Amino acid sequence: MDTLLTVSSLTKHFKEQQVLRGVSFDVRRGEILCILGPNGAGKSTTINIMTGTLAKSGGTITFKGVPVEKQLRSYKQSLGIVPQDITLYEELSPEKNIAFFASLYGLRGKKLRDAVDSALAFAGLEQRRHDKVKTFSGGMKRRLNIACAVAHRPELIIMDEPTVGIDPQSRNHILDSIQKLRSEGMTVIYTTHYMEEVEAIASRIIILDKGTVIAEGTTESLKESVSAERHYVIEVEENGRIPESKFYAIEGVRSAHLEGSTIRLSSVRGIENLDRIIALLTENGERIRNITSETASLETVFLKLTGRTLRD
Amino acid sequence: MDVTNLFKNPVLLGYNTLFAALFILIMGYLCGGDYKTMRDAYQYYGVSFLIFGMLEGAMTASNCFMERDIKKPNLRIMYSPAGPSAVWLSKLTASFLFDYVLHCMLLAVLCPALHITLGARPLVFIALMAPIEFASAALGIFFCCVFHCEETTSTLLSTVISIFGFLGGTFFPTDGLGKTIAALSRVSPVRWLNDAFFALACDDSTQYVLPVCAAAAALSAALMIGCKLLFRTEDYL
Repeated sequence: MDTLLTVSSLTKHFKEQQVLRGVSFDVRRGEILCILGPNGAGKSTTINIMTGTLAKSGGTITFKGVPVEKQLRSYKQSLGIVPQDITLYEELSPEKNIAFFASLYGLRGKKLRDAVDSALAFAGLEQRRHDKVKTFSGGMKRRLNIACAVAHRPELIIMDEPTVGIDPQSRNHILDSIQKLRSEGMTVIYTTHYMEEVEAIASRIIILDKGTVIAEGTTESLKESVSAERHYVIEVEENGRIPESKFYAIEGVRSAHLEGSTIRLSSVRGIENLDRIIALLTENGERIRNITSETASLETVFLKLTGRTLRD
Repeated sequence: MDVTNLFKNPVLLGYNTLFAALFILIMGYLCGGDYKTMRDAYQYYGVSFLIFGMLEGAMTASNCFMERDIKKPNLRIMYSPAGPSAVWLSKLTASFLFDYVLHCMLLAVLCPALHITLGARPLVFIALMAPIEFASAALGIFFCCVFHCEETTSTLLSTVISIFGFLGGTFFPTDGLGKTIAALSRVSPVRWLNDAFFALACDDSTQYVLPVCAAAAALSAALMIGCKLLFRTEDYL
């Protein structure tokens, strides 16, 4: 994938306070790049600088290799932005909201009408197209908030925590929609502090903390980077025939806990010896019902990297 | 879109039409005894409150520019290729059109109903309203750019315009209130505008038309330059 946008050494000060401390990353065409971090990490500041609404203190942002300052109009034309707040005219219908915002990107006539229809379908709001936005639920407003940003078919969509405060059904709708946008060739930058959303949609993740990128990679690579051990949960039909010490005798096994019909084991990554563990169970007449491998969560990754949880 | 939004705002719509009409009716009726005829009283309050209403157009502008609920969708305009200047220019134009149209409609209803005259050249009277309305809207936008907040702007503008209105004779003529008040009233732009519009309506005199137009145009230009220099997109975040 080629690089669409590059952020280099981005800094931002608010008077004495340094909010961004040299943030650098790139965005590849066609990916969903998730920026994960706790509140106050600098996610929204980064996004606001990228959208041109906040001046940066230092660093560069290039779009298709050219600094955005030198092509501000065409850069903005290529962007679709979903801000954290609901940015809709509440007294107007969704149709009029979409039409107005799409018209700011130069759409007129049939192109505009088609864009409005497809954005309404994208948000699942065709049946409510003439109703006032103020009568909508939070989830519907959030969906419309996204529809207004994608109606002009931007190359790059920037979403700043677009699922804050909505019901699970609307959240799933939004996450599915984002996947759909990607499948249609759009590139998405998505900030959130919900790990489950990141796990569901991210092609790549950047973890931001205290204004610095502390980790970057795919979900799996990030998890693996912090996990020195692999954890297994083995369910058997009847346990009690094998003492814990027998598991410790297998090379690589670091811990073994027997809880009823469940055996929890952890072994060193690379020398898991799962075949020997299974052999030990079967040789002792245990019937294995299920084996699951528990890998580190993104929460664990964040905890290992910062010593804090994402919700702190 | 901004004009549509303003016309869907019941508070602004009511203030610029019903409230204005009621104020003119009530004040004209209550103070009728101070004038030769009731018609003179309605003439006085019709024109003077119209001028006051034109200046209060600054608050319409500040409302549609930085009112909390409107501010958020306006952010999208700044994201677009139209850019930040499009936001305040669009709000300025919208609030100017909104106030101007409503004030013209108000005159269209009140003039025949209360026998208010606009003089021998009613079109000049109506045309002269335009630069005042525009300058007022520019003032509201400029104050928002300075204070970055609709609430502060509205409070400040409301106070200043009310004082100017009081000194300028919007609520009652100040000529009989002594030399000090009479001198102070010369400071108020409401007084100058009253002189210009009453000269046009009652004396068919156009002597103030050009100076008023020139002053309003110069003020508008200065305020717009100020907006261009002072408007920061950060204020919208």
